[in-house]
Amino acid sequence: MTIARKITPYMIAIVASFAAAGIFIAAMGFDVGRAYSTILGTSFRTPNGFIQTLLKFIPLTLLALAFTVPLTAGKFNIGGEGQMIMGAIAASAAGIMFAHLPFYLLLPLVILAGVIAGALWGLVPAWLLYRFGLHEILTTVLLNFVSFAVIDLVATGPWRDPAAGHPTTIPIGEGGFLPMLVSNPPLHSGLILAVVVAAGIYVYTTRTTSGYELVASGANPRAAQVYGINVKRMFVFSLVLAGALAGLAGVIEVAGVQHRLIEGMQSNFLVLGLIIGLIAKGDNLAVPFVALFIAVLEVGASAMQRTMMIPVQMVFIVEALVLLFVLLSDVVRRR
Amino acid sequence: MEKEPILELKEICKTFTKTIALDGVSFSLVPGEIHGLLGGNGAGKTTLMNILYGLYRKDSGEIELKGNKIDIHGPRDAIGYGISMVHQHYLQISNYTVIENIVLGTDIDKRYTMKLDSEAARVTELCDRFGLQVDLNVTIDTLPIGTRQKVEILKALYRRIKILILDEPTTNLTPQEVDSLFDSLRVMVDYGMSIVFITHKLREVLSVCDRITVLREGRNVTTLERSQASEEVLVRAMVGDQVNIESSVYFARDTQQGSELESDAKPVLALQSVGLISKDGIARLKDVTFQMRPGEIFGISGVAGNGQRELAECVTGIIPPTSGQITLNGKDVTQTTINELLKLGITYIPEDRLHDGFLPKGSVAQNLILGYHRQPPYSDGRFIDWKTVYQRANSLIREYNIKTTGPDAPGGNLSGGNIQRVMIARAFSMPSSLMVAHNPTRGLDIRSMDFVYQKILERKKQTNATLLISEDLDELLLMCDRIAVIYRGEILGILERSQFDKYAIGRLMSGIKAEE
Amino acid sequence: MEQLVTFLRLVLLSMVPFVLASQGTMLGGRTGVFNVAQEGIMLVGASLGFLISYQFGNNFVGILAAMVSGAIFGLLLAYFTTTLKMNQFVIGLSLFFIGVGLSSLIPKLVIGITLSPPLIPTLPEVSIPLLSQIPILGPILFKQNGVVYFAVLLSIGLWYYLYRTQNGLELRAVGENPMAADSLGVNTVRARYLTAIIGSALIAMAGAYLPMVYTGTFTEGMVRGRGWLAIALTFFGGWSPLMILTGSLFFAGVEALAFRAQVIGLAVPYQYLLMVPYLATILIMILTFRKARVPGFLGQNYDREKRNL
Repeated sequence: MTIARKITPYMIAIVASFAAAGIFIAAMGFDVGRAYSTILGTSFRTPNGFIQTLLKFIPLTLLALAFTVPLTAGKFNIGGEGQMIMGAIAASAAGIMFAHLPFYLLLPLVILAGVIAGALWGLVPAWLLYRFGLHEILTTVLLNFVSFAVIDLVATGPWRDPAAGHPTTIPIGEGGFLPMLVSNPPLHSGLILAVVVAAGIYVYTTRTTSGYELVASGANPRAAQVYGINVKRMFVFSLVLAGALAGLAGVIEVAGVQHRLIEGMQSNFLVLGLIIGLIAKGDNLAVPFVALFIAVLEVGASAMQRTMMIPVQMVFIVEALVLLFVLLSDVVRRR
Repeated sequence: MEKEPILELKEICKTFTKTIALDGVSFSLVPGEIHGLLGGNGAGKTTLMNILYGLYRKDSGEIELKGNKIDIHGPRDAIGYGISMVHQHYLQISNYTVIENIVLGTDIDKRYTMKLDSEAARVTELCDRFGLQVDLNVTIDTLPIGTRQKVEILKALYRRIKILILDEPTTNLTPQEVDSLFDSLRVMVDYGMSIVFITHKLREVLSVCDRITVLREGRNVTTLERSQASEEVLVRAMVGDQVNIESSVYFARDTQQGSELESDAKPVLALQSVGLISKDGIARLKDVTFQMRPGEIFGISGVAGNGQRELAECVTGIIPPTSGQITLNGKDVTQTTINELLKLGITYIPEDRLHDGFLPKGSVAQNLILGYHRQPPYSDGRFIDWKTVYQRANSLIREYNIKTTGPDAPGGNLSGGNIQRVMIARAFSMPSSLMVAHNPTRGLDIRSMDFVYQKILERKKQTNATLLISEDLDELLLMCDRIAVIYRGEILGILERSQFDKYAIGRLMSGIKAEE
Repeated sequence: MEQLVTFLRLVLLSMVPFVLASQGTMLGGRTGVFNVAQEGIMLVGASLGFLISYQFGNNFVGILAAMVSGAIFGLLLAYFTTTLKMNQFVIGLSLFFIGVGLSSLIPKLVIGITLSPPLIPTLPEVSIPLLSQIPILGPILFKQNGVVYFAVLLSIGLWYYLYRTQNGLELRAVGENPMAADSLGVNTVRARYLTAIIGSALIAMAGAYLPMVYTGTFTEGMVRGRGWLAIALTFFGGWSPLMILTGSLFFAGVEALAFRAQVIGLAVPYQYLLMVPYLATILIMILTFRKARVPGFLGQNYDREKRNL
């Protein structure tokens, strides 16, 4: 299929959901045109808006991939939130405990700690699946809750920053900060990491034998098993890899943006990541593009709430409608 | 004496997305007859009857019951008209009991307490009348296949039907059980039923049917009285010009000569006291011992569920045996897993090809390399060389006549017959000294069946061995040099070609050991 | 003893959303419809139930309104999966998103962004005469609000319906093997629609219960993941109504214990106690999962005309 034909259903879906939302907005008495231009335009009007968009793009892409990679193998990882949080916790812990280390030691340590922590948090449901056959939707969700308790523990524990009103830790050592690409407005090099990782995932799934086995395990686990693929191991691997990706997102938030651990840092990235993954129909190549689009919408949404008093949830509904229309277009095409 | 038909299907047409399954097919049923519906796989027989039974909607055409036009929107309507169907793959709820399966969908006397006494009494009476003995209170998953078929038939009889459709009922029966089924059919006819008997086996149709309608590629070919029918006539009707009957293997009359196999050549495959105990503690294979010579076609015969799948999976390394030894070309491969064995020269055609061998969300190319994706020429172990894959895929598509838009096409878009062709292409695409084929021709149309047989015989010429596990005894009798019979995981006997006897094998299939 | 009674009363009170949501999930699952939108449906049920109750000054009307909204979600779920044959997980997640969005949007639009939200009265207790006088057990079991009784009776009723009636036999058959059920004339489409609709209505009811029992108002994070937990509890209860009731009781009990421990001020940091209910659930799932029998066709759509190739 040519690119144009592939994109058309998305375009139609976007137009349709904006139209639907527009009716709602107009009915509530707001200026529809201004709403549209705020949602879509804020990212591009100022350098700050653009940077904000990129900063959102990073965790969204990684969390979406944390969902789509296991999805390729037929598994549903809803635990990106917990994995991200654990990654952030480990990154902060390393950054605080070894704060005195120089940059070339501390930064890799921080990144490694976070990625491994996220991977481990993905390993637990993977192992529960492998050993006991427990469905990963449940275990990943339950572990999200557990991670909330853990972050609360850490953010109110000995590393707590007494000056902050909200549970937050003291900053990590400066050596753990991600180097900046642009200082004003602040854009950190986590962007490069994210893009490289996304590209790496794409190459992995399309060109390596292991990636082929992942795809086969999701397409028909029984057939894959019969033909020599260790399907169970693939499931475990996909969840661990997903955990690592989400953990990396946590690391980047800590090392690049906040430089400390803040309770609630996971924001709504998980839900948005799921939407992105679904809109992209599980295609790892499409994920970054959809993520960018959603980032634009999110930035626009906060601006819209600030300036026009339209609740941000409006945009959330738009995003959900886009998903629904995209899915419907599949049905239509099938007929 | 011309009787008024009780049922008539006129000019039925049905298209599934892109395939025309039925192109104006007509069929009539006279009261009290057993009417055979004959044709190769894909001819449209099951589709036609599924329309009658309400599982499919016809695109056009008419159905008349006793001269009145009727509309059938679903199985409920069909049952209301006195029509019932026993499907090829039994439609039963495994964890319900026999009686629950039988009464499901009917009005139960005590519907708010579910005490099934009066229903059970009715069923028991049917069991006695038709000679179908089953324990009503056990769950389906504990029953062997032959008994499950009895439950299917009881389901139909319980609903006071006048017209019974049987779809390939003899697939899982021993020759003796087939005879017994035919006797039951005659009892049913005496009780006033009319029966439609769907099959692709000519000899069955000649032995039990009063009239025979032959379908080919979704069209009527002919309808004959039994007196007018003979094997030649039916063969010609079934395949028309598609298959060169003279050179066909499927229709070969002369048993093909067992080629001179050197009896002292080193065995390709040797099993010594192989046993397998499954996870639930049941012995699926017991003390299996046999050897295969290079170039030999070695058959495993038996009723489904007697260990064939376990045997296939042990030999191919999908599951390791619990005891015993397996050697391939002299090398001990007892614990070797399938991906190693695929590299060592084994190929496998699993029984349930769609379920166990096909990736519907994968492309044709991805399907063609499944199992070989870690080996040259497709891969160096880490990266896949898609260029080579596509080259080979294109040549396989040509050679095996797979109708598709290209190696990129999603597997799910292929028609059933083409999916089978992909799997056969894959199985024959790599050289192998041993092929394990489990029901390789099931579901194939006659031309493809013939193609597979030719390919297997070619292997023989190349001194490559084939382990042919099949529940179709006729197929084994046709192709094999030797046949072993498996019953409850044990090999009860191995016969040389010169000793082949259908009923002797049938006795072994039922567990009756040969007298010493 | 006084404390024990109060504690157990609380447990019974708090198990209700789990019972309702899990039974709703189970009902759909029994015909093969795997609902994963619970969190969203409960959120909508909570916010809508609260708003309508506030408007009309009557909790009961609020609950009804919530159930209607749930029914609509169920209808959409059934339509997209049973009729359009789309993937159940994906549709469930999509409905979850929509639920999250709607449940935040509607209150903001209706009430506006205010600091002190309006309140509704909580559900009144209904004492069952005589029985509630029994020492100890009386106040625990027979002096609860109407919804508690409803939840228990519902569980028993569902058990009886599924296992002791003809309709129940047919309904379960649809989830075990829809082809077999269909071939015997059981209306699989109707079964799936009905269970999805009624199941989702129950789930929404669970959501509506929350503001009416705890805080008297709706706050955005109010459901706190109970929707997802309901799925766990359904598996945990082996897709069987009575076991689900027991499981919900257990979970509510553990959760209440954890809160109690916080209040008492044990030496253990309270965050660990917060984790206990979830970890306990995982533990129990490990122990009971062996025996859990999942409906054979759970999560799979049935297409009558799909050729068995």
